Amino acid sequence: MTNRSPVSKTVIYVLLTLGAVMMAFPFFWMLSTSFKTVGGVSQLPPQLIPNPFKWENYVTVWEKVNFGRYTLNSTIIVVLDLAGTLLSCSMVAFGLAMFRFKLRKPIYIVMLATLMMPSQVTLIPSYFIWKTFGTLNTYYPLILPSFLGGAFGIFLIHQFMKSLPGELYEAAVIDGYNPLQILIKIYIPLCKPALAALSVFTFMGSWNNTLGPLIYLQDKSLYTLPLGLLYLRSNTDANTALLMAGAVIITTPVVIVYLIAQKQFVQGIAFTGLKG
Amino acid sequence: MQKQGYWGYLFTAPFVINIILFIAFPIFFSAYISFTHWDLFNPPEWVGLDNWVRLFKQDSFWVSLRNVLFFALIFVPLQTILAFVVAYMLNQSLRGSTVFRLLYFMPVVTPWIASALLWAWLYNYKFGMINWLLESLGVDPVKWLDSKYWWLTIGSVAIVNVWKGIGDSMIAMLAGMQNVPKEVLESAEIDGANKWKQLTKIVFPLVSPMIYLVMLLSTIAAFQAFDAFLGMYGALDAGSVQERNMVPNLLIYRDAFLLTKMGPASAMAWALFVIILAFTLFQRYFEKRWVHYD
Repeated sequence: MTNRSPVSKTVIYVLLTLGAVMMAFPFFWMLSTSFKTVGGVSQLPPQLIPNPFKWENYVTVWEKVNFGRYTLNSTIIVVLDLAGTLLSCSMVAFGLAMFRFKLRKPIYIVMLATLMMPSQVTLIPSYFIWKTFGTLNTYYPLILPSFLGGAFGIFLIHQFMKSLPGELYEAAVIDGYNPLQILIKIYIPLCKPALAALSVFTFMGSWNNTLGPLIYLQDKSLYTLPLGLLYLRSNTDANTALLMAGAVIITTPVVIVYLIAQKQFVQGIAFTGLKG
Repeated sequence: MQKQGYWGYLFTAPFVINIILFIAFPIFFSAYISFTHWDLFNPPEWVGLDNWVRLFKQDSFWVSLRNVLFFALIFVPLQTILAFVVAYMLNQSLRGSTVFRLLYFMPVVTPWIASALLWAWLYNYKFGMINWLLESLGVDPVKWLDSKYWWLTIGSVAIVNVWKGIGDSMIAMLAGMQNVPKEVLESAEIDGANKWKQLTKIVFPLVSPMIYLVMLLSTIAAFQAFDAFLGMYGALDAGSVQERNMVPNLLIYRDAFLLTKMGPASAMAWALFVIILAFTLFQRYFEKRWVHYD
């Protein structure tokens, strides 16, 4: 950080504000449009503040276009994904960090390598596996993999666990704990910052996932929010105000989570990006 | 570290299953499938290089590559430069920098589908905000997403990608900049180096590893873009996307899951992987010339 003259500071403020307006205006426009009537949407020049204010759009989207259901579906998947990811990633990271065994190094290297594996190559065989198991058009393909651990999460927690003092483990053994108890009672509580960061990333990934539900789900009653929104856009003559109401519904939870958990976001980027 | 190996195997078992089932098997299987005709229902039929030969003769494949290349060419440099500029400005001692950081990061967390619908609305030919602004400046309205010029459509999507991605790259670069020691800048100032010299000779070299990482990751992301295009084109499936606006991942999705041509789709997936790998290695090659470590 350096100090600048008032003039150059003003220039920086003006530029930053201009940029911020360009970043934020679309959100304002989404919200504004979501309260418009069909006539209001197509009015030129555009109305900045909707008149009349039609909040019934949200009722229509929530009840008639089934977004209530989609929201519930998305929530179920996100909650289970979160549980699965936190559980399995802590387990695997703990295993890699605390025990010496023959395949430890190879597993660790493969884990790092999978960070680079493009998903499109494994997509078709994965689909085939779920089809063979008879689980197409269910949530299993969207949920079960998170219980098997993901490279990103394992890496993040592994990095964090390694930064904890090794004597901690020895002390717990002397106290008569077995490894599972040590993980649950000592390491998981200590890893809270890393787990919080992982939760935020998992939530975003799962909530925003489009390709998975698109491939695996057919019944409209099983659709998640991204799919419901795409369906609304492409299959009906839904008006723009309804689409924007749907977009607001899908965006609000992530923005709230982001506002609450900004610190974890930045920490997560720091854990993985900088130390990696 | 404990010696009892079985605990290690026990704890890592979920991921070992994951590796075998969803990584190792798929890699070999999809390589095999790329040499077969397979519709998912009947047994795969070996056809040798057929899919590969056809792939290289297929116009839509080359069109999709051209598009994604153009997309990356617009998106990656623009996002990197803007993110660097914003990060540099936010790194000055400013009041309210937290609020700015918050706003610039908002698009990153917004679901792609919502962002895409929103921008499709802003780009709308008749009632969109962008054309309205242009018109009030006396410019004729433009068919951004429905243009007969492929580059205009792809470019429009690339701009939305920049909007969505600046925040992410900016945070990474800001983290890099905050590692630049204050004393170094201060002593440079005493030595008479102006702000521009400090930026180019000190800040940029020290942040260059982060810039490199950001460019590498966004190039990979560009080649894998899927939601962005699906959402911006407003299609539930890739079947209705016009050929001139195709990108590789939409093509793979269409061939595999709409036309159930698993062989060609697998060949294409592998081709895309090889291309991404080539670009990554290409960037690594040039890394030495401008990225400074230590």
